[in-house]
This record gives sequence, C-alpha cells and structure tokens, in this order.
Amino acid sequence: MTSALQQSGAVDRPTSASLADVIDTILDKGLVIDAYVRVSLVGIELLTIDARIVVASVDTYLRFAEAVNRMDISQEKEGLPELMQDMTQGGAKHKVKGGVQGVLEAAGEKVRDVIDEPAEPERVPRRRRQAEEE
Amino acid sequence: MSTATAPAGTAGQAQATGVYVYGIVPEDVETDPEAHGVGGESATVTVVRHGRIAALVTELALDRPLGTPDDLLGHERLLDATAAVVPVLPARFGAVLADRQATVDELLAPHHDWFAAALRELEGKAEYVVRARYVEGAVLREVIESDPALERLRVRIRDKPEETTRSERIALGEAINTAIDARRQADGARVAQAIEPSTAGVVVREAAGELDAANVAVLAETSREPELEQVVRDLARDWAGRVEVRLLGPLAPYDFVTELQPGE
Repeated sequence: MTSALQQSGAVDRPTSASLADVIDTILDKGLVIDAYVRVSLVGIELLTIDARIVVASVDTYLRFAEAVNRMDISQEKEGLPELMQDMTQGGAKHKVKGGVQGVLEAAGEKVRDVIDEPAEPERVPRRRRQAEEE
Repeated sequence: MSTATAPAGTAGQAQATGVYVYGIVPEDVETDPEAHGVGGESATVTVVRHGRIAALVTELALDRPLGTPDDLLGHERLLDATAAVVPVLPARFGAVLADRQATVDELLAPHHDWFAAALRELEGKAEYVVRARYVEGAVLREVIESDPALERLRVRIRDKPEETTRSERIALGEAINTAIDARRQADGARVAQAIEPSTAGVVVREAAGELDAANVAVLAETSREPELEQVVRDLARDWAGRVEVRLLGPLAPYDFVTELQPGE
C-alpha cells in the first residue's frame, strides 16, 4: 500500500478514482437534474442518503481510547515505528464494521478485485477539431 | 411525471429504456464507440446535441437497479476521462431522462445559455482534489502528548478493565476526537491557503471520515498541474509520517457546478 510512500512524505497520485472517492463525490455533487424531469429509479435516493456516513460515534471514541491506552508514551517519546504500525493496522482490523460503512468497505473490496485486472486504455470522448489537428 | 418510451430506433421492443445523463459538453465533442460508463460493456456512450452544447448519455434499460459499484465507478471514470480533454459539466449520479428528445426538450434547450457559458468558463480547466488523512498512531500520540489532562485520564484508566471504565473511555475518545477536529480545521485551512494561488477556485469539503486531515477541491488550469503537484508535494514532505496526502485529478468539476450556475 502507501506505507513506504508516507515515510518519505511522497504524494500518492492515483490514476483513477477509488470507490470511496467516487462515493464522496458523485452522489451529492454535480449538476442536479430536476426530479420532475427525471425518470424515477428505485434505489437512487436511498443510495444518496446512505453515502452520508461520516464521523464520530461511540465506536470511534472507544477505538481511539483503546488505541491510546496501548501506547507507551512516557517511556519512549520517539520511535517505536514498527509497534505503532502494528497497532494502527490491528486497530483497523478490530474495528467493528457497523452499518453502512461496513457495507461500503465490503463493496470496495469487491470492486478492487475488478479494478486490479489489467486496465484497458481509457476510451474518452474527444473533440472533432482535436481529431482533425492530429 | 413523465414515463419512459422506447426510442424510435427500437420500435417493437417491449423493454422500457431511458437516457442516462453523465454531463454536458461542448457540441463538437465526439465519443469513442468503445467508451463505457454505466450499464456494462454493451452500453455505449453517445451524445445528444443541441445548439452549442451536447449531453453525454447512455441508453439504459430501466428494469435493472442502478447504483452498483460498477455503475458508480463507470459514471465517474467516464466524466473524469472526459474532463482531462474537454470541458464538462458533470451531472450528479443517477439522472435518467425519458428519451433523447426529452434530453433536448427538458435539459439542453431550457438551460442552453448558461451551460454554454459555463463550458466556456471551464475551457482548459479541471477539478483536482487534495485528500489528506492522519496516520492514526501519529495523530493520537500528538493529541495525547499535547494535553496533560488527556494523558492523566489515559494513565488512570489504562490498566483497568474495560467494563468498569466504559464512560471514561468514551469521554477520552470523545476528547481525542474533538482535538483531531481542531487539527483538521487548521490543516484543511493550511492546504487551502497553500494551493489557492495556483487555482481558479477552492472549495473546502466536509470531512469524509474521522481521520480526514483535509479534503479540498480546487478548480485549476490543467496546464498548471505540475505547480499543484509541487504544492502538494511540499505539504506531504512537511507532514511525512503524520499525514498521508493524495492528489486526485484531473476530475470533472463536481464541486464547482453550483458556482457556475447563474443566480436564481
């Protein structure tokens, strides 16, 4: 993953959006086409609401508390990188996958399998005048 | 509410179809016959033209549920790939109109002038998003070390059983969350401030998770992408080990559509 990169402070520059990024973007941003013009489709409104997960709950608080309780702060101010990394990853694994977030993560995992297939070159719309210039 | 009718070309076919709209592009855009969006491999992307503008669309059977991960990714990837080469006004996911004629009559014609003006405004520009996320261990350590009261609380409950200290644990976690939130405000502002000079507009998005450090969308000229990358690299270097930084883009200008809309 990105752990090697983040040590050196490099920027992760993904070539295409992940499902999580997509959900953050296309479900509540962009041009809204009026409901009275649209053909209604089952599921869309629900999807839009579900996407607004976010931020802290009691589960989060307990997870933070658990994580800091396992830290050895006073004795070793600096370092313990391996231990810290273990803890971070362990913490993520232990985390109770509640409700929608769990569903989204699970969906993300499924999609990743699909994405990992060799990517075809992106087929994109182009402009006539650009095509003519070439 | 209008109902879907089969387009003229597929007369005799019982299946109801609609026209899925990805976004608005200039009239002179042509699609690749191999381009795909929502609706899988068999659904091709075409344009519906009107005046100086056109809608990027896919004809879609209405009897299938819309909104699978593939649909979501298909929508955004088509728009982002488009935004890299031509101006595009992205539609929110899930817009389906009755047919091609309805796309002209109900979408393109009534809004023609402002769509055309917005596309001119977007010429040469695209959206980029800076997403920064705290490294959990590092930010938790930072929070505890900078607040003696939290450190005392931590030490007091550390070796006690979870069952008897649940409310203290929640209080500790909540205080940590508040402290992270304060850092998020500051770090988000720092990203926005650092990147603003290289852009034509900045939108600080809401946090999308409890470890989000910054989620900032910018509208920028694609020719200035190297400059953006440099700004983000500098931030990432300053924050090495503390914050992971990603730069997404070029993307369709999802966060700037409302700004481009004339006041109503």
